[in-house]
Amino acid sequence: MTAVSTAETQHGLGSRLAALAKIVELGQGRLDPALVTEAAQLLLRAGDRLKLSSDHTVVALAGGTGSGKSSLFNAVSGLELSPIGVRRPTTARTHACVWGIDGAGPLLDWLQIQWRHRFARASALDKGESQLHGLILLDLPDHDSIRALTDHEAHRLIQVADLIVWVLDPQKYADASVHRRYVTELTGHDAVTVFVLNQSDRLTPEEQAECVADLEDLLRREGVAHPRVVATSATTGKGVDSLKAVLAESVAARRAAYQRLEADLDRLVQRLVKDMPELLRVEPTVDGARRAGLVDALCDAIGVSALGEALENVHAVRSADWVGWPYARWTAGMRPDPLKSLRLGAVKDDIRGLVASSVTAQPAEVDNAVQALADGLTAGMPEVWRDGVREAARSRVDELPEALSNDLAEVAPPLDRVPAWWWLLKIWQHLLVVMFAASLAWAGAILAYGVFKAGRPPAEVLGDVGVLPWVGLMMISVLGLGLFSAMASRNFVVLAAGKERDRLERDMRRRVGVLAQDMVVGPVERELDRYNEFFGAMAATRR
Amino acid sequence: MRSAARNTPDHGTGAGSGDAVTEEPDIEEHPESPGERTVAFRPIRDDEPDPEPASRPSGSRGPLPAPSAPASSAPASSAPASSAPAVETAQETVAASGDAASPEADDGLVRPAEPDAAPGDAAPDGTVVNDTADDDSGDGSLRDAPEEPSAGVGGEEAGRPESGDGEQDAADVTDAETAEEDASDDDRVRSFPMPEPVSAALTEALNNLRTAVKGLHFGLDVPGSEEARKAQAAVLAQLDDYVIPRVHMSTAPALIVVAGSTGAGKSTIVNSLAGRKVSATGVRRPTTATPVLACHPDDHEWYARGDLLGELNRLDEPTRDAPPGSVVLTSSPSLPRGLALLDTPDIDSVVEEHHEIAHRMLDAADLWVFVTTASRYADAPSWGLLRRAKERGARLVIVLSRVPPKSRDVVVKHFGRMLKEYGLGEVECFVINETAVREGRLPEIEIADLRMWLSALSVDDERREAAVKTTLNGVLNSFRTRLPALARHLETQVALRADLRSDVDGAYMGALAGIDEATRDGSLLRGEVLARWQDFAGSGDLMRTLQLRRGGKGHQQGPERVRGLRTALRTGLEALVNSAVQQAAEEVVTRWRQRAGAGDRLAATPGLGRPSEEIGRRTTRTITAWQDHVTELIRTEGVTKRSVAKLISFDVESLSLIFMIGLLGYGATDAPAGAGAVALPQRLLRGLLGAESLRNISAKARSDLRARVGLLFDEETLRYVDALDSAGIPDEAAATRLYQATYNLEVAR
Repeated sequence: MTAVSTAETQHGLGSRLAALAKIVELGQGRLDPALVTEAAQLLLRAGDRLKLSSDHTVVALAGGTGSGKSSLFNAVSGLELSPIGVRRPTTARTHACVWGIDGAGPLLDWLQIQWRHRFARASALDKGESQLHGLILLDLPDHDSIRALTDHEAHRLIQVADLIVWVLDPQKYADASVHRRYVTELTGHDAVTVFVLNQSDRLTPEEQAECVADLEDLLRREGVAHPRVVATSATTGKGVDSLKAVLAESVAARRAAYQRLEADLDRLVQRLVKDMPELLRVEPTVDGARRAGLVDALCDAIGVSALGEALENVHAVRSADWVGWPYARWTAGMRPDPLKSLRLGAVKDDIRGLVASSVTAQPAEVDNAVQALADGLTAGMPEVWRDGVREAARSRVDELPEALSNDLAEVAPPLDRVPAWWWLLKIWQHLLVVMFAASLAWAGAILAYGVFKAGRPPAEVLGDVGVLPWVGLMMISVLGLGLFSAMASRNFVVLAAGKERDRLERDMRRRVGVLAQDMVVGPVERELDRYNEFFGAMAATRR
Repeated sequence: MRSAARNTPDHGTGAGSGDAVTEEPDIEEHPESPGERTVAFRPIRDDEPDPEPASRPSGSRGPLPAPSAPASSAPASSAPASSAPAVETAQETVAASGDAASPEADDGLVRPAEPDAAPGDAAPDGTVVNDTADDDSGDGSLRDAPEEPSAGVGGEEAGRPESGDGEQDAADVTDAETAEEDASDDDRVRSFPMPEPVSAALTEALNNLRTAVKGLHFGLDVPGSEEARKAQAAVLAQLDDYVIPRVHMSTAPALIVVAGSTGAGKSTIVNSLAGRKVSATGVRRPTTATPVLACHPDDHEWYARGDLLGELNRLDEPTRDAPPGSVVLTSSPSLPRGLALLDTPDIDSVVEEHHEIAHRMLDAADLWVFVTTASRYADAPSWGLLRRAKERGARLVIVLSRVPPKSRDVVVKHFGRMLKEYGLGEVECFVINETAVREGRLPEIEIADLRMWLSALSVDDERREAAVKTTLNGVLNSFRTRLPALARHLETQVALRADLRSDVDGAYMGALAGIDEATRDGSLLRGEVLARWQDFAGSGDLMRTLQLRRGGKGHQQGPERVRGLRTALRTGLEALVNSAVQQAAEEVVTRWRQRAGAGDRLAATPGLGRPSEEIGRRTTRTITAWQDHVTELIRTEGVTKRSVAKLISFDVESLSLIFMIGLLGYGATDAPAGAGAVALPQRLLRGLLGAESLRNISAKARSDLRARVGLLFDEETLRYVDALDSAGIPDEAAATRLYQATYNLEVAR
């Protein structure tokens, strides 16, 4: 029965400690460093203690100077092992008495008890004390004298002992040095704490009852739910047997070590949780709406829609040079150019150069877009973790504009790109111009040869006046064809530019989405995972 | 009356104080004999009948009529008036002593006690004289101090001695009438006028010091500020409770504070000395919660009036739920006159308020009686108290109580050695054996030594004065280190505040520089701004901006592209500013977090890590305003070159846009004319406006943008300044004032 419950306890404690290890790992830099250090120390201590003899229970007699720890130690062990005296402070080094020395060596080493202060109750002496087998009783130095200000041995051992027996006396039982520094700090340790009111022989029975009641009251006020108070007198031996019985019970159960660690863990977890009241799980993935929002914002930073518009406009304007009706162009060219009068002739080249420049992303807007994503995601998260998510989102934000520019330059054609069919149309238009010119020449020839009889036409057809209307018709239709094809191709240009724009925006969005996933959403999601893991561990450390 | 007062030392100290008498010639000049006292008193009272006989002396001006008056003459004018209450007290004392124990009996007690008396006795004559003189000054003002505990303003009121005297006289009348009956057997009065100028200067120095200490404000929670606040409160309380009243009073009654660990038997000792149960004892720890002041019945009224410990409530009975800041006042005829025992709560129990009360009581003590026990004498808190006594230079007596008789020698020797190692070997130590306590009292034999020592102090004015002076001087000496420590902490706070402030400024200056950089290196001309600019230029709108004058009206260009470009530019600038603001806000918090203590806590103020809510709106407003301003600049200052103006008209709005693009997108618009690749907008603008004009407008536009963004940042900065201010603004001058006040006190002493 005992073995089973021990195993259970150990198992439960083990998984909680594993979760604590996780917290220590993930909490680095996110929790109070002092708390993390403490947790790491607890892990270390728990690891050490659980490795060492579980058959032994380390019981520490702690208390102020002059409260009779050594006397009680001697009374329990039945031997004059620890020197007692009237000078204060009396005991400077910890003494240990072991009931059943087998296997206790490493534990005593770990407790750093000097060899010459270790005493073993050999089995021969143990008549009638088999119930204490497995007890390691420590007589600590005091923790409140001026010597203790520089010597922290008592403090160290109070932190590591499995069961602590506070030895108090009627004069000092309400000292702040015990209560403020230890009792209130170790609330929840009821199972592994025993209070002894020593020197009870100095009190009358009524006084003793009042004293014990007052002490219990005080302890309850400090958060010790079920204080175990034993009144003893080391000098008369009164009450020592009750103390032994309490010790024997703990020793027999072999659970004090786990209970102590559990209590320590509970206490630590309480303090950890105090900083973060709500254990809030967050969605570990960035949802579609936020993702789309980020992509939109990044597209704005690149100016995708402006780019599309510019593409349409610039194509429409530039196409006039290629697919436009040449005559209209020539007429426009005849108009006086204001730039000429400013002698700024190269401006056109400048504009061409400007239009040829490639797509880029604006860093500040990229920054703001990422910031907005982080802010939206972290609403309700604890401050440190918000910072963490923000850091993660920002981790590659410096490279992002560059990466966006490079990546999108591949899909975004320079605005001055000339599609092949423009060339065809240009040739076609020029062909028409040539045809018009030819017809004009033909008509001229007919006029010259056929009408004015300027001479003998070189060919029959050049002098045939009857053909003239046909030639005129041809001229008009060539002009008309030019105009028509200019108009038609202009429509095609617009249509193509529209299609190009659609394709461009789609492509860009896709690529922006991929980059955003890589450089922003990925790190953020990893951080969110860590956050969830942390809080999972936090929940796991609680019972 | 006067002479009676002066006679006391001779009488009281008996053979021991012959010196004191010879050292007071100026006092001796006045009528000396008991008989003359009455004569000297009456004429003054008759001469100046007061118009308001009922009024009490409402200030401390009486005893200090003129700081400039020679010390020798001052008593002449003020002594008769000022000595009245003192006399009254004294007479009561005398009367009571007549009832309870004859002076001879007192003397009998004193004499055997003297050989083992306090070291104060051993002081050279000069010291004694000085002490006496100081005490005199205390005496001079004794009479008003009881009337108005908070007064202590002697010197400054010296300008109106007349009225002061008048009031004084009125008081004298009433006082004197009560005092009259006892006037004849007046052989024990402890008052001596202090040399007036010294008193005035000292009083003023103390008052200034009090003001200076009170003016300190430690708003920022840096490490040590809690201690500093406590130290400040302690100094203030000590000034009010003890120092200011004490320099205005005689050395009697002296306040002996019994302090020590819980369960050490403080109350038991006080009870035993009082001869009855004045303070509760028991097995419960901590036992005493409210301090109990036990004195001789004659002194009861004096303490009840409250001068020392003036801030505390007087209670007659110890009650369970006495409010903090009260003291129980009881009396017992078994206690010697001129001394009061104050039983304090413990210094080390679990009830921490007790420690504060105990320390406050100790700060007001003339003499510390430290009680410890055989099982406690090595406790750390006890030695903390002893260290404090040493630091303060307080007159200290140690009682080692509850010593088991069989181990008495070992314990006493060991404790003695510890004290010696600690530099307290000289301190008197009484040992009380552990015995049965009956009715909260020890057997008389155990406390005989202690009682004898107390009685000696009671009768021997000189010794008591020496003891009181030692403590007072110790306290004043302790100010030399305690006050500069406070001032230093304040300076730390001031420095820290300056650091925190500079963190904010630094971060926002950095942000402004970042914006400057981004508007110069062309990073603004990216993304949408670039696309819109390409659109604007590539679609020919740029060319259409310019129209030949003779070309007629021409067609109005489509405004969408201009508007698009304008919006894009504004959005781009806004993004730049917002991102800079965000970074600045984070930077401030990061920097503050690195500052120990206060910065940390301030950084946690919600909302400081991000820009303010309305920053977006404000930025939009700022940028729009700037754009409008630039358009206006182009309109008014962009005087077109005459040659151009004849030919070309242009659209101002578009031109200002081109200008902004050139200014912010391409960087330095004011590049020298000869430079090679000058960007498109500049060339265009220079062609239109001329290089000179363009340079002017560029400079103006840029500085205007800086100014506007700077203003925006200032508003943001305000939030941090508010957070800093809400923590309290440490006054730099306060530290200086405190140094000055400390120095002045040293001079005045």
